[in-house]
Amino acid sequence: MNPENSPPPAMIDLIKVSKVYPPNVQAISDVSLTIAKGEVVFLIGMSGAGKTTLLRLISRMEKPTKGMVDVAGMDVIKLSERDIHLLRRKVGMAHQDFKLLPERTVADNIAIALEVVYCPQSLIEKRIQELLEQLDLTKKYNTRAGELSRGEQQRVSIARAVANNPEIILADEPTGNLDAETTARVMALFEQLHRRGATLLIATHDRALFHDTPHRVIELRFGRILSQSKTEGSYDDLGELAPALEEIEP
Amino acid sequence: MRFWAVVIRHACRNMLLTWKSQGMTLFTVSLSVLIFSFFYLVYVNALHIGEQLGDDLRLVVYLDEAPPSPLQEEYRRKILKFDQVERIEFISREQAFKRFEHILGPGSDVLTGVPTDFLPASIEVYPVRTLDSLSRIKRFSDYLQTLPGVLKVQYGKEWIERFYAFIQLMRVITLLSGSLLIMTTTFMVAHTIRLTLFARQQELELLRLVGATNNYIRTPFLLEGALQGGIGACGGLGALLVLYNWISLQFAGPNAISLPAFAFFKWPVVVAIIGLSTLLCIAGSFSAIRRFLHL
Ligand SMILES: Nc1ncnc2c1ncn2[C@@H]1O[C@H](COP(=O)(O)OP(=O)(O)OP(=O)(O)O)[C@@H](O)[C@H]1O
Ligand SMILES: [Mg+2]
Repeated sequence: MNPENSPPPAMIDLIKVSKVYPPNVQAISDVSLTIAKGEVVFLIGMSGAGKTTLLRLISRMEKPTKGMVDVAGMDVIKLSERDIHLLRRKVGMAHQDFKLLPERTVADNIAIALEVVYCPQSLIEKRIQELLEQLDLTKKYNTRAGELSRGEQQRVSIARAVANNPEIILADEPTGNLDAETTARVMALFEQLHRRGATLLIATHDRALFHDTPHRVIELRFGRILSQSKTEGSYDDLGELAPALEEIEP
Repeated sequence: MRFWAVVIRHACRNMLLTWKSQGMTLFTVSLSVLIFSFFYLVYVNALHIGEQLGDDLRLVVYLDEAPPSPLQEEYRRKILKFDQVERIEFISREQAFKRFEHILGPGSDVLTGVPTDFLPASIEVYPVRTLDSLSRIKRFSDYLQTLPGVLKVQYGKEWIERFYAFIQLMRVITLLSGSLLIMTTTFMVAHTIRLTLFARQQELELLRLVGATNNYIRTPFLLEGALQGGIGACGGLGALLVLYNWISLQFAGPNAISLPAFAFFKWPVVVAIIGLSTLLCIAGSFSAIRRFLHL
């Protein structure tokens, strides 16, 4: 038994997962996917392909119609209502629609994620300052979230997702409203979390993010996994993905 | 520790944000407590006065003949058939005369020459001092009147019976206002908390998404209910105390007819009323959470 040869433990494990929204929208069909601890994976695919649905299945915002979902050693489907918080504390999700509280300040919005785990006030303060600095939002500390631009709101939602250093980070279209420079800041933050051992799953249309990446890229189409790059190696090396890419970005 | 610090902060912030409906609820709870405790206070005091009156309350049954012992047993049996009594005493003509003499004291000279059997023999019936039997005293007297050999039945004053009827009425009113208290407080609290739940749906869902436990989300609302119940009850009792003092002042003047021992609630009762109201409001908020908070 050589530990270096044994595969790294799976952090996210989907087995033949299907999701049908009522009445009969087949959002995900028969997806099997294993993401190792500490891995970074890009999830791509055209609009409506099922990226958001896949992330919601992992964070148990939706239950699959069929299949098994295993996250951080928890059987997500069997998880009882009382224990959901255990999963949610391990999974930080930056939602596509941000889910910020518009009446509360930027600081309050980020603090929520830390308060629910009873983080002491002084640490909350420190962490918020740190994140706002990394995401170039320091001046917005006391601004109400509803008054921010879309791009700023997006960054606040990312800050909240990563605030309590979750083991798994699900980012749904994290750079959709950002310019190149701010995108770089967000990616630097993700890179830092990756180095600290977090597992990241990033759903995106932004080719700049996954182009030339050393990480795995998975493409969804009509709720199925169309293609995957190898764990090692860049996305562009993968010939079979090229036609798919053409469709995403003509 | 940290849990409660967070919960209290959440509850306070929430109550500040919704101060208008909070004020309405507090007012309703206070008013209900005031109405209930007002009637309860009157009832308790009337009961107290009633007990004192009962101390020297007896029915005197005048007989045409002093009954021999077997007949005494017969009377005793018949009296007990109507109601429990505390005790029954047979007074012979001679005993009645001696008593009368005693009452007159030094003036008993007037009795010289008066035959010692000029007073009728009697039975003295001391009713049990419970509200039920005291409020039936008129019927008791009517019943005794029907016994053979009875000349006349006398008991206290006319108003005693009415007084005990009043106490019974007060009991019913207290019970009614108590039910009113239960309904208004639980309903109002459930209603305000429901409004807050709807207004803050988004936030509560978000809390769930970022890993809050159910208790983390629920407890602030239960605490809110408890505060509404507790503070509302204090307000109602405070108002009652003011009212009580005001009324006492009205009766206090130099030419006052002092109210016989009309007292405010003792501490344990005050605590019990506050505790009851708090519990009721927690129940109200609990039911709202059960029905309207879907996490
Ligand atoms: N709550 C829902 N009820 C019904 N259908 C839904 C629901 N959510 C998503 N869908 C459907 O499921 C499919 C996948 O949607 P999903 O949001 O996962 O796509 P996506 O890949 O995230 O798209 P985008 O890139 O535009 O965000 C779509 O056809 C969508 O209409
Ligand atoms: Mg989406």
